[in-house]
Amino acid sequence: MERRSFLKGFGAAAACAIALPHVASAAEEKKSASPMAMNFETAVAAITGGKALTPSAKVKMEAPEIAENGAVVPVKVTVESPMSDKDYVKAIHILASKNGNVRCANIYLTPANGEAFFGTRIKLGGTQDVVAIAEMSDGTFLTAKQNVKVTIGGCG
Amino acid sequence: MDLSRRDFFHIAAALGIGLPSVASAASAPKRIDEVGLKDIYGFNAKGNVTILHICDMHAHIKPLYWREPSTLISAPNLTGTPGFLCGESFLKHYGMKGKTLDAYFDTFMNFDALAHKFGKMGGISHMKTLINHIKKERGAENVMLLDSGDTWQGTGVALKTGGEAIVKAQNYLGVDVMVGHWEFTYGKTRVKELIEMLNAKFVSQNVVGDDSFADDFEELIFEPYTIMERGGAKIGIIGQSFPFTSTANPKEFTQGWSFGLRLDTLQTYVDKLRKEEKVDCVVVLSHDGFSVDQEVARQVKGIDFILSGHTHDPSPRPTVINGTVIVIAGSHGKYVGRLDIDIQNHKVKGYEYKLIPVASNLIPADPEGEALVKELYSPYDSELSEVLGITKSTLFKRDTFHSTFDQLINDSIIDAMDSDISFTPGYRWGTTVLGGDSITMDDVYDMTAITYPNVYTFELTGLHIRTLLEDIADNVFNTNPLYQQGGDMSRLGGVTYEIRVGAVTGKRITNIMVGGKPLNDTKVYKVSSWGGNLQNAGSNLKDSLTRPVYDVTAAYIRRQKNVNISGNSNVRLMDYDCGCPKKGARGC
Repeated sequence: MERRSFLKGFGAAAACAIALPHVASAAEEKKSASPMAMNFETAVAAITGGKALTPSAKVKMEAPEIAENGAVVPVKVTVESPMSDKDYVKAIHILASKNGNVRCANIYLTPANGEAFFGTRIKLGGTQDVVAIAEMSDGTFLTAKQNVKVTIGGCG
Repeated sequence: MDLSRRDFFHIAAALGIGLPSVASAASAPKRIDEVGLKDIYGFNAKGNVTILHICDMHAHIKPLYWREPSTLISAPNLTGTPGFLCGESFLKHYGMKGKTLDAYFDTFMNFDALAHKFGKMGGISHMKTLINHIKKERGAENVMLLDSGDTWQGTGVALKTGGEAIVKAQNYLGVDVMVGHWEFTYGKTRVKELIEMLNAKFVSQNVVGDDSFADDFEELIFEPYTIMERGGAKIGIIGQSFPFTSTANPKEFTQGWSFGLRLDTLQTYVDKLRKEEKVDCVVVLSHDGFSVDQEVARQVKGIDFILSGHTHDPSPRPTVINGTVIVIAGSHGKYVGRLDIDIQNHKVKGYEYKLIPVASNLIPADPEGEALVKELYSPYDSELSEVLGITKSTLFKRDTFHSTFDQLINDSIIDAMDSDISFTPGYRWGTTVLGGDSITMDDVYDMTAITYPNVYTFELTGLHIRTLLEDIADNVFNTNPLYQQGGDMSRLGGVTYEIRVGAVTGKRITNIMVGGKPLNDTKVYKVSSWGGNLQNAGSNLKDSLTRPVYDVTAAYIRRQKNVNISGNSNVRLMDYDCGCPKKGARGC
């Protein structure tokens, strides 16, 4: 049985996925064929153009500590900003640091949005950091992250 | 049974302890034979309000034996902290003496000898006598009874009545407010029916609608809090049900409901109670688990008291973190926690706490309760009282890695299914059967009475088995309490392994042997499991073998007649030298 179908077994029937096995992750890297596939550092560089990321309390991410279902993990990102013509959030990016496809969502905003908020559900292949990057109108990049555990559970 | 001085001489001889000396101070711990009802009731009453707290009764409306763990291992950073204390390290931490009534209740030490002499623990008719006594002392209008959940599930009578017998027991005890965890395994519809029958309020701020097509999408499923007036004070009680219900138990029971810690909204409700509702005291009634609630106290501001549950820890003294007082009242109805609070000028000025052991030999049974228990059991008595066999050694449940009753269940499964490996869940509820005693059907249900009881048999590769073990170990031994689920390691039949609890995630388990041979990553093994969802990971599910675990176990014991389980663990712990290590140490 391939690792993918093994994970699917959990996803479909138990509706929760198992943590990425350390033994299998190397094999996964070799196999990854998605045109979107890139590692976390490359994905961040593609967003920031090489600029530094600044961890900031202005970026607030809501995600569960332990995913109820690794296939649909709710993530909400709010960025504190006046959203004026001079000072606004240009984009919110959500990344899953260890997924085969790291970039989950790229949301482009204008001052007309009024509020820099976005919520979605992302698929996580295993326990990892979920990272939010806010691209600010002054050209800086703010960030926040949270570790989300993906587990088969079952030992309550 | 009253303990005579003669009884004490017998037990003193058995334990090799001396005669009791004349008590030098009133506060000196009394030897177990000297303890009377006055000592159990004795309390330095304080203030104007009393909160009585129970948790994790697991449907034990009759008294039982319950042996606390002899191995309770955690990540090294948590070793020897409240929630990870047992045996000697427990006594030392709480400054207790061995061979006292409290030590009999709180530790595994000398358990068998003391149990034979000093009898069973808990039972609603004994709890009720204690509760009535306190209500009389304090004035019923100043007392409330709060229940941290895991109350409806855990015995045959609970399962067979779909939880209803236990709701009747709660109504009899006079529970005022509760939260849930295993309650949810009766399914959403039944939970709502039972709440209708329940006199108590069911509150939870951390259960919300998850179905985007339903009216309650992102809405609270239960009232998040309730406000009660006692002793002239307004007390806000916020409910926190088990945050990981949908991960630890089958999702089908709560489809459309989302759980989680939800500390953001918890903080919002604490602030709302203080500022808008103008309460004098904020209580969180919780099923988070003891170590998780210590973390909650670090992250959420303004909680006066957390009444914790889930991890089954007896805690004779409160743990105070950032001004929040955390208590937890053991499990299986063994204790009632009494918290007296002094509230003046809309603020908590002081408190006094005692974890009261429900010693069924010392606290008389309330006749009304005895009649109720008899009535609730009567339709099932003939089935539940069947003697299946006799056990030579004591069968117990609690331990981080290995326990004798679980080994008996695994032996039963491997025998019936002819599988290479058997997985039994590391739940913390069950029962204890003393060596030499008979095993009844009721005892088997005490260990297995769940609404998804099937043993599944299927195939897994060696690599998957290794991965699963690491995943389970990471839930039990994570260094961050917020990422733990509060259970023990799954118990494995047919397998031995070594574990380094302090190693990094994915690298804890080594030297896995199946049937005496090293685990082969590419080999396909025949695996049986119950109480989890491993079957969904496997292939070639053998439907024809699927049967409820209580039937499999009962049939095996009937065939064996005499059961003799060795206490030898199949798990070798590599980074600790004993089962109850002290803080910061490898050893005890």
